[in-house]
Amino acid sequence: MSGGTVRSLGKGSAPPGPVPEGLIRVYSMRFCPFAKRTLLVLRAKGIRHEVININLKNKPEWFFKKNPSGLVPVLETSLGQLICESAITCEYLDEAYPGKKLLPGDPYEKACQKMVFESFSKVPSLMVGFLGKQNKEDCSGLKEELHKEFSKLEEVLTDKKTTFFGGNSLSMIDYLIWPWFERLEALELNECVDHTPTLKLWMAAMKKDPTVSSLLTDVKTFQGFFNLYLQNSPEACDYGL
Amino acid sequence: MSDDATRTLGKGSTPPGPVPEGVIRLYSMRFCPYAHRTRLVLRAKGIRHEVININLRNKPEWYFTKHPFGQIPVLENSKCQLIYESVIACEYLDDAYPGRKLYPYDPYERARQKMLLELFYKVPHLTKECLVALRCGRDCADLKLALRQEFCNLEEILGYQNTVFFGGDCISMIDYLFWPWFERLEVYGIADCVNHTPTLRLWIAAMKQDPTVCSLLTDKNTFLGFLNLYFQNNPGAFDYGLSC
Repeated sequence: MSGGTVRSLGKGSAPPGPVPEGLIRVYSMRFCPFAKRTLLVLRAKGIRHEVININLKNKPEWFFKKNPSGLVPVLETSLGQLICESAITCEYLDEAYPGKKLLPGDPYEKACQKMVFESFSKVPSLMVGFLGKQNKEDCSGLKEELHKEFSKLEEVLTDKKTTFFGGNSLSMIDYLIWPWFERLEALELNECVDHTPTLKLWMAAMKKDPTVSSLLTDVKTFQGFFNLYLQNSPEACDYGL
Repeated sequence: MSDDATRTLGKGSTPPGPVPEGVIRLYSMRFCPYAHRTRLVLRAKGIRHEVININLRNKPEWYFTKHPFGQIPVLENSKCQLIYESVIACEYLDDAYPGRKLYPYDPYERARQKMLLELFYKVPHLTKECLVALRCGRDCADLKLALRQEFCNLEEILGYQNTVFFGGDCISMIDYLFWPWFERLEVYGIADCVNHTPTLRLWIAAMKQDPTVCSLLTDKNTFLGFLNLYFQNNPGAFDYGLSC
């Protein structure tokens, strides 16, 4: 199941049953960048999973038992174990499941990925600031801040002299930061990578990755979602279905 | 005497040489709670290390080559690799060094400790704000209320788990990551914030019996001496309590 075609569950919906053995469940939302991280890792590692999309504008009461904060993503195992916080879910999946390791085995290389992740940490809240900005002038301060953050990431790539943030193959850190770059075009922010050529090359390389491309959301669908989301529409999360 | 009882290096100091093989270096400050986390892990795992204390009000120019913003703690190994952010440094030490593992092996239990850490994130800021408010003679009733609420959340976890420590019946990484702020409650003047959280108080008592925590406890008067000088903007604050 790709999770891209399942209507979200909202208030009044019946709580889902237990997770069948051999599967892991992710509570998600098709347009949430944090949940996208978890979906990318599930796909990259070939983990059998089911997706339950949550209507974040009309949350089911039962969802607060899965995560008291009511946020996605949340993982639920067949043992009823719940894991919240996107980065924690991704690391959990990498550790708990066999196959290709997305985090490096070397302790220093692993620490480096976490340090890069820290230096990315301002980007999500900056990008939220662009949603619904009608007036271009409002954006110039925010754009400058975003430029600054992207320059930091550019420096990491140019210092390492590798295509990806963890080396010459794609790894965890690339998946963790990708969802915000996926949204740049829909937010009309492509120019923010104009002065960071290596970052731009990284974006192109990411789009060629089979996992990334299989989960790519197109610009029009994003924009349709953003539109409805800003109007607080309970239909937003299901846009395009 | 603690192994980090050395004078700080400040502006104009000579940069330290490379880290000798078999040792890891920690750039630290004796009273910093974040660096305290890393010192706890180094001690708990019995890792051979050297400490260089940094004068945070008068940072050496060379220190910015170790950390872009001159923050502590930073680890430097003999391969010149630098690791910063206290939580990342602690995890690195647990991964890189043999012996007692402070994080659990089980992926779900590891994830639980990391989720608990998320629950703690407001505590450092709130305790610092209380300290500053009290030292500046401002009322901090609201801040203390907010801090008590955070402590109630932690109390609930311990109650629900029915274990002595946050990771189970033995002390583990998450306990060490929380500890530095609890050690400081008394000297910050906010020990009453745990008045309504008896299980948390039991945890504090149990922590004080841990050999690692014990060995790194800073004596109250030394801490108060540091705080007094720090709030007077005295650059000698960081070396308070060291003999010449």
